[in-house]
Amino acid sequence: MRDRSLQYVLLVPAFVIVLATTFYPLAYSLTTAFRDWDLTRSRRPEGWVGFDNFAHAFTESHFLNSLWVTTIFVVTSVALTLVIAMSLALLLRRKGRMHTFTRVVLILPFAMSPALIGVSYRFMFNPEFGVLSNGLAAIFPWLEGTAWLADPELAMAILVLTDVWHWAPYMTFMCLGGLASIPRETEEAARIDGASNIRIFFGIILPQMKGVLLVTAILKTIFALKMFDQVVTLTGGGPGTSTETLAYFIFNVGFEWYDMGYASALAWILTAIMMTISIWYVRMLLSERKMATA
Amino acid sequence: MKRILLWWAERALLVLVSVIVLFPIAWMFLTAFKSPRDAYSLSLNFTPTFNNFVTVFSHPWNLGDMVLNSVVVASVTVLIAVPCASLAAYSFSRFRVRGRKFLFFLVLSTQFIPAVVIVLPFFLMFRQLGLLDTRIALIIVNLAIVTPFVIWMIKGYIDAIPTDSEEAAMIDGASRLRVIWDIVLPVAAPGILTSAIFCFILTWNEFLFSLILTRRDAVTLPVGLVNFRTERGDLWELMSAAGVMITVPIFIMALLIQKHFTRGMTAGAVK
Amino acid sequence: MAEVRLVDVEKRYGGFLALPKQSLTIEEGEFLVLLGPSGCGKTTTMRMIAGLEEITSGDILIGGERVNDKPPKDRDIAMVFQNYGLYPHMTVQQNIAYPLKLRGVDRKAREARVRETAEKVELGALLHRRPSELSGGQRQRVALARAIVRTPKIFLMDEPLSNLDAKLRVSMRAELKHLHHELGVTTVYVTHDQMEAMTLASRVAVMREGRIVQLDTPKKIYSEPADLFVAGFIGSPSMNLVEGHITGGRFEAPGVSIPVAAAERGDVVLGIRPEDLELTTAEAPPIRGKLYALELTGEATLVTLREGATSICARGPAEFEAEIDAACALAPRPGARIHLFDKTTGQRIAA
Repeated sequence: MRDRSLQYVLLVPAFVIVLATTFYPLAYSLTTAFRDWDLTRSRRPEGWVGFDNFAHAFTESHFLNSLWVTTIFVVTSVALTLVIAMSLALLLRRKGRMHTFTRVVLILPFAMSPALIGVSYRFMFNPEFGVLSNGLAAIFPWLEGTAWLADPELAMAILVLTDVWHWAPYMTFMCLGGLASIPRETEEAARIDGASNIRIFFGIILPQMKGVLLVTAILKTIFALKMFDQVVTLTGGGPGTSTETLAYFIFNVGFEWYDMGYASALAWILTAIMMTISIWYVRMLLSERKMATA
Repeated sequence: MKRILLWWAERALLVLVSVIVLFPIAWMFLTAFKSPRDAYSLSLNFTPTFNNFVTVFSHPWNLGDMVLNSVVVASVTVLIAVPCASLAAYSFSRFRVRGRKFLFFLVLSTQFIPAVVIVLPFFLMFRQLGLLDTRIALIIVNLAIVTPFVIWMIKGYIDAIPTDSEEAAMIDGASRLRVIWDIVLPVAAPGILTSAIFCFILTWNEFLFSLILTRRDAVTLPVGLVNFRTERGDLWELMSAAGVMITVPIFIMALLIQKHFTRGMTAGAVK
Repeated sequence: MAEVRLVDVEKRYGGFLALPKQSLTIEEGEFLVLLGPSGCGKTTTMRMIAGLEEITSGDILIGGERVNDKPPKDRDIAMVFQNYGLYPHMTVQQNIAYPLKLRGVDRKAREARVRETAEKVELGALLHRRPSELSGGQRQRVALARAIVRTPKIFLMDEPLSNLDAKLRVSMRAELKHLHHELGVTTVYVTHDQMEAMTLASRVAVMREGRIVQLDTPKKIYSEPADLFVAGFIGSPSMNLVEGHITGGRFEAPGVSIPVAAAERGDVVLGIRPEDLELTTAEAPPIRGKLYALELTGEATLVTLREGATSICARGPAEFEAEIDAACALAPRPGARIHLFDKTTGQRIAA
């Protein structure tokens, strides 16, 4: 077979999968988003309602709340993850037995099921017999009797904590990869020129890490926007609606209320948000690359 | 003096990091071997017991069924996704396919689509087809998430292999398919294996699809955890035992390919 | 063994013209070297012959047969790559045997043939090693062995020596030359090293920006470079090129005045090789200047003079010594070749 036809043939199986499992359902959900379809009322899609589902979203406090919750979650978890990952990468960069051991340990959180992480933290922060709630109370007596997951702010903080615990190690490896690709000479030259460690970090290392950090930020933002499992197993969206992220809200609309039309519209709003942010990041990344090669 | 202090500070930080990472995992393992009474006591002084594991595998929890579901769903997903993705990755990596950039963007863009968007229509379709609460349904939906990711990852590995050997093989008399079979697959094998394990982990840990699309027969392990929330409260010792069952196989895999694993995390992303 | 012909071959990448339309015939049994700086199109030309690169228009014929639409495997060629292109997961034995295996040679015959070939390139003891366990020179030999294990119609070699250290390069060069003599297979060889080209080739094609600017024997290319580019590219140290004009039968430039047999004109570049110059103490020397640098090469001393913008290098005796900035004088040796080029077109001016 000539290469010219072969190159397409090789793509066929994967594209059949991607088209059938992604683009077909996408089209389906897009049409559903413009319909009124309450599953408890009807087994078949009902009438077209134009943009009503979308319009409804922006007047509903429930949705606006989830948007706000998602924003807070994404911003804090992305920022914390990046800072921690970069710091850990710097710490782990050198060779040594302890370093190697820690690096191996860092593989584990990524491999752990997010649902299970939520369950574990829920257990550890249980006010009566949680090991962390009791441990913290023993060290800081004024925390005695804190109902961690019953407090809106603390619940959000713990949700962010589980997510950072899950992803920061993975992102550390990405940063380590980035650090490894910086030529040693630039740092050594700066050291010989008499730059301090802090100056070397901000003046030499950080600028060369921009590309990697941007990619890391894109990925982490996407993961944070998609984050769902821990909400179910850790907080259930509560207390009240204080940790009800957009993804969780969509799930509720679709599978607690069975309002398929509205859920589809919301899902498309989430997609639009993710696309917008990704495109914005990729733009930054591209201009960054251009500067780097110029 | 300052040197020594820094040296110790660095070690101390490393220990702290390890403790923060390991503690929740260790606590879960400990709890799994505690009797219900010990589980609520925070005590480290307890007599280990296997009762929790016996309990979760027997009626009414039947964790064994869920283990089987998870194994079947994850394995079949990997066995379909990885071969298809490898071929596509090779084509993307080596040919200047017309519209290649667009096709590859199409593949990558699926990563920006939240799973909830896909699962809604699938729920409706499967309901119509009577496929709800089946493993097939889970496999199909998992393929949606995993395939583009694996294409991207394997492409990274193939990009890193110099084309020299392939060209040499073609001149030595091999057809393109023969080149893929004789040269590319053996050389890319570690990368493909790593991708396969990544893929397995993602599917094994997948929660949302299983939560929505299964009820009783096809429930996988992560969703099984939710069952231990009963009217009598959360049964932590049983949850922990189930947690151990979810975690151990994945940890073993991750540690087995530890070196490639960390490289895999960086490979695709840095480019 | 076969003749290779490129007829009106052109190569474009999208809108970019990489190789303009041109023809080239490589004769049966010939050792043709494609020589030029990086990016001149020499490797692309070779890859088109191999079938690794498609041609945009024209024809390629191997042994009189049009091979445009044949994949590499059906062209009956062997190739040695710059980075060797060894199969990293196979042993040396398997690497060398692979082309035979693909052609269905049975196991016994294969092993005998591999052993014989390995002996020829002194790899006999290393047959069970992997490429990663070999030195650069040994890898090079494996690549070579894999190419000669069967008898192809043509050998293609893409800078096969460029990754070796200087000493090894010289000895491998001799081996390649001997091998070509022994096997007599038509060989196309790509390099940017003019020394390699001169020593190996029966003919050299000097390329620049996709075009073959001169195709001739090494001797001819050295003694009669077709233009300024070839003149500057061939020879080490390279030919002195001085801009000036011709008046009254003499070439004139700052510090230079040499009698030449050419018509009166402006805008001329005079070329003279360092080995065609000698130090002189004559009254009115043709070339004068201040001594700029002295470089001892062992058997000779390279003497560089500067006068204004002109810089001229000569090969003097090893014993020569002088102070930097001292006044110095040079003259063409008896029988020296003096080359003249048109400054605007760069073309050689026939004497």
